[in-house]
Amino acid sequence: MGVLLFISVLLVAACGLIYELVAGTLASYLVGDSVFQFSTIIGTYLFAMGIGSALSRFLNRGLVYRFVWIELLLGVIGGFSSAALMLAFAFTQGFELILYAVVIIMGVLVGLEIPLLMRIVRDRYEFRDVIAHVLTFDYLGALGASLLFPILLVPRLGLVRSAMLFGIINAGVALWTTYLFSTQLSSKRGLRIACMVVLCSLGAGMLEARKITAVAEDNIYADDIIFARDTRYQHLVLTRFKDDLRLFLNSHLQFSSRDEYRYHEALIHPGLASVPTPRHVLVLGGGDGLAVREILKYPQIESITLVDLDPEMTKLFSTHPMLTKLNDKSFLSPKVHIVNADAFPWVDSNTDSFDFIVIDFPDPTNYSLGKLYTTAFYRAAARHLSAQGLMVVQSTSPMFARDSFWCIAETLKQSGMQIYPYHVYVPSFGEWGFVLAATHEYIPPTTLPGGLRFINVEGLPALFQFPPDMAPLPMPPNQLNSQILVRTYENDWKDISH
Amino acid sequence: MKVGRRKFLGAGSAALVGLSLKTDRPIAGSFVNDNFQMGHLLRDRTSFPPAKHVEKFPAVIVGGGIAGLSAAWRLRKRGFTDFVLLEMNGQAGGNARWGENEITAYPWAAHYVPVPGVKAEFVRELFEDLGILKNGQWDERVLCFAPQERLFLYGRWQEGLEPAIGLTQKDREQFQKLEDLFAKFRATGEFTIPLELGRSAKFQDLDHLSFSGWLQQQGCDSRLVNWYMNYACRDDYGALAKDTSAWAGIHYFSSREIEEKGPLTWPEGNGWITRRLLERVGEKVRTNQMVYRIAETQHGVSIFAGDTEFQAEFAIFAAPTFLAPYLIENFPRLDDFVYSPWLTANLTLERIPDSRGAEPTWDTVFLDSPTLGYVDAMHQTLRTHIERTVWTFYWALAEGTPAQNRQLLLDKDWTYWKEAILRDLERVHSDIRQCVSRIDVMRMGHAMIRPAVGSVFSQERLRFAQPRREARIFFANSDLSAISIFEEAQYHGVLAAQSALDRLHGHR
Repeated sequence: MGVLLFISVLLVAACGLIYELVAGTLASYLVGDSVFQFSTIIGTYLFAMGIGSALSRFLNRGLVYRFVWIELLLGVIGGFSSAALMLAFAFTQGFELILYAVVIIMGVLVGLEIPLLMRIVRDRYEFRDVIAHVLTFDYLGALGASLLFPILLVPRLGLVRSAMLFGIINAGVALWTTYLFSTQLSSKRGLRIACMVVLCSLGAGMLEARKITAVAEDNIYADDIIFARDTRYQHLVLTRFKDDLRLFLNSHLQFSSRDEYRYHEALIHPGLASVPTPRHVLVLGGGDGLAVREILKYPQIESITLVDLDPEMTKLFSTHPMLTKLNDKSFLSPKVHIVNADAFPWVDSNTDSFDFIVIDFPDPTNYSLGKLYTTAFYRAAARHLSAQGLMVVQSTSPMFARDSFWCIAETLKQSGMQIYPYHVYVPSFGEWGFVLAATHEYIPPTTLPGGLRFINVEGLPALFQFPPDMAPLPMPPNQLNSQILVRTYENDWKDISH
Repeated sequence: MKVGRRKFLGAGSAALVGLSLKTDRPIAGSFVNDNFQMGHLLRDRTSFPPAKHVEKFPAVIVGGGIAGLSAAWRLRKRGFTDFVLLEMNGQAGGNARWGENEITAYPWAAHYVPVPGVKAEFVRELFEDLGILKNGQWDERVLCFAPQERLFLYGRWQEGLEPAIGLTQKDREQFQKLEDLFAKFRATGEFTIPLELGRSAKFQDLDHLSFSGWLQQQGCDSRLVNWYMNYACRDDYGALAKDTSAWAGIHYFSSREIEEKGPLTWPEGNGWITRRLLERVGEKVRTNQMVYRIAETQHGVSIFAGDTEFQAEFAIFAAPTFLAPYLIENFPRLDDFVYSPWLTANLTLERIPDSRGAEPTWDTVFLDSPTLGYVDAMHQTLRTHIERTVWTFYWALAEGTPAQNRQLLLDKDWTYWKEAILRDLERVHSDIRQCVSRIDVMRMGHAMIRPAVGSVFSQERLRFAQPRREARIFFANSDLSAISIFEEAQYHGVLAAQSALDRLHGHR
């Protein structure tokens, strides 16, 4: 009995420490500033344990009964703490409040445990032995937990399931206690049923935990997340750090509000300003409305058709005040027609012709996106060009993904167009590239709309010059049956990250 | 803050719902396109009621698979339109039939055509006619998109179907040796498609040996080499290497130029070709017309189907040749036509099953599975976002004799095959039961001709492939070549049409 009892002490101590570590780690991951987070969480937790110890004096009768309930409560709250905190972070504004509330409740419960246990066993041992044994095992448990947590639990199980595992251990100790002290309990059946319910729900939680971790743990952003949503098509996260808004789609940075004007001015004006009488413009991708904002600087344009897969994306950029401020409410212009559709089938089935086509898709990181960078796609898109028409394609970085950039250029060329590649520097992206393509010769514009911050007529020729480290490379075209671009792109970025 | 809390509570209850136990979807489905019954009526020589009507055509085509449709295509292309095609099933196409649901079109059997070489001139002519070959350039959209094939072995995926990971030195040497041998055979020009254009007696000895026997002679005892060779024979012939002629086994590897373009394929497989052919000759096609008797008469040939006697000058017999003794009067017994039984199934998937992190491919095969894996009908879609799809599952029942397996197909019910298919897929896609909403199963007792030992150079077969000068019935099925591929069916169909046209013009 003695050993079994002290093993419970060890386990209980381990659980207490794990919950504290989980809360500290989660807060550091999600909010950042780990020194601050760990200090305040440990402080709060220890303080709450003190409250628990103080409160223990008010518990007088049925100590074993109460101890079992405390273990169960702790099992549930501690076990689900990690999942609940992640969800709180993703879906509420009050993460910190919930975090400290959970830490205080857990601390109080943990603070109750050891005093109660000591009192339960005090009649069986000398006082000095009780103190010595209980505290020895308490500290041993803490050591075990603090080693297990970084070495095994976090890498193997992750935060959500680690907490649940220790919730199960808490509930296990509760169940075990009903047997260990069965003589001191009058009605055990209800307690044991409660234990089983808690054990089962935590067990089920362990099985389903991947979903929660997938949503939350994979996306660790240092900045404030002001919007995060899994739409039907992508994982959309908007962050803010001081005055810098950033959009991430599936964890890839799409723009930073500090320098997106460089990207979008460069995407639109070298091409569009050279079209003699642009009336109809097509934008493929570009659900943030920033390219459309630039296009609206040409008053003679009558219609802008924007095809973007994700209605939640275009809706967000039509309604969110911070974002409509950024895109000048471009989606609310009566000239703009938003079509939420998959681009390739849309391009195939639509028959309209356009004076300027903007192709602004995410980089070709997988075979699905790769289809939108093929000769088949560009040929289909080129059929929509009017006689004076021109198309521009965002073509990843000629610096970091040089093979990919020239592969896209070659693909456009093999699709039967003349190509005019150019590049600009966007601080948050680095050196970035575009390709203009047309079935006729491109003559750079001599005038530009007013109010541009980056592109000017004098600077244009320089954009079309490629220094040696970005100079053209002979690449094969990307085709549906080869998808060579996806592999090339993967290799290009692999080389960078090494 | 209030909104935040409500949202939080909402998320909490959503999480609780997520905790409820997963249950498998109910799976609907049945056997489809069965024609056992009609086949058995013929086999048992059931008596049919006498004909009530007579229709006259200079030419009648029996059988609406690729051979029959190709014959019709050639007749029409040559300006001859006075003919009719009789198809037993409700849908033409034979092994190139297709199905369609709200997600996609999908194949029922043949699902691709390798990029045809220069020798397959009829196939190239057809594809030029269908607009996918222009000035020697293939339409990118009908070439199989990348990534094409993957093999699941040792708990992981590899690209391509020839085992390439976990090979020992011995495995590698044997694969290399075979590759070199096949290259030499290829260089002889004896192994061609169409087969008839290259075949001479030069390698006839290989036809008297089984492919596995030949592999043994070459010292190939590697387990992986033998798995792959068996996979190839099961895939193209529905037979194990030990039941395949060595000549045919070599033909599989030596008949095509190695090219990286990948095969021509469509969501509905070769059903796409059937559709295009039907656009051209569809009004000549009569379905649900089971021909039960063909008799040569003084002036021509009479074909009986339903309550009609079709009086023709010439008939093109494009149905499987083994049916000839049951249909054609005074026809000799056939001994050298052996057919492999197959089972295919189309699985409707409400979500894409977990594939251990891999991006989907066109063709998926599992090492050491008795089945041939599956093909994804949505692979050729141009969409970037796919939520649902249809997988076509292929299973050549190659273990044991064809007769035993035909009996198995008749004996076992749909549930048996459904479970067998799911269990096979479950080894890799653990959540498959939560994704499938429907499994339709097609049983084919005589799915394809089997190039059994001795059958490529069988005298009996060669007799049918060469039409007699005075013949009124021209044979056209791919089984005349002993291998069941699109190109052979089309070749024999076109040739039979050509023979019929020559004779018709000679008459007039």
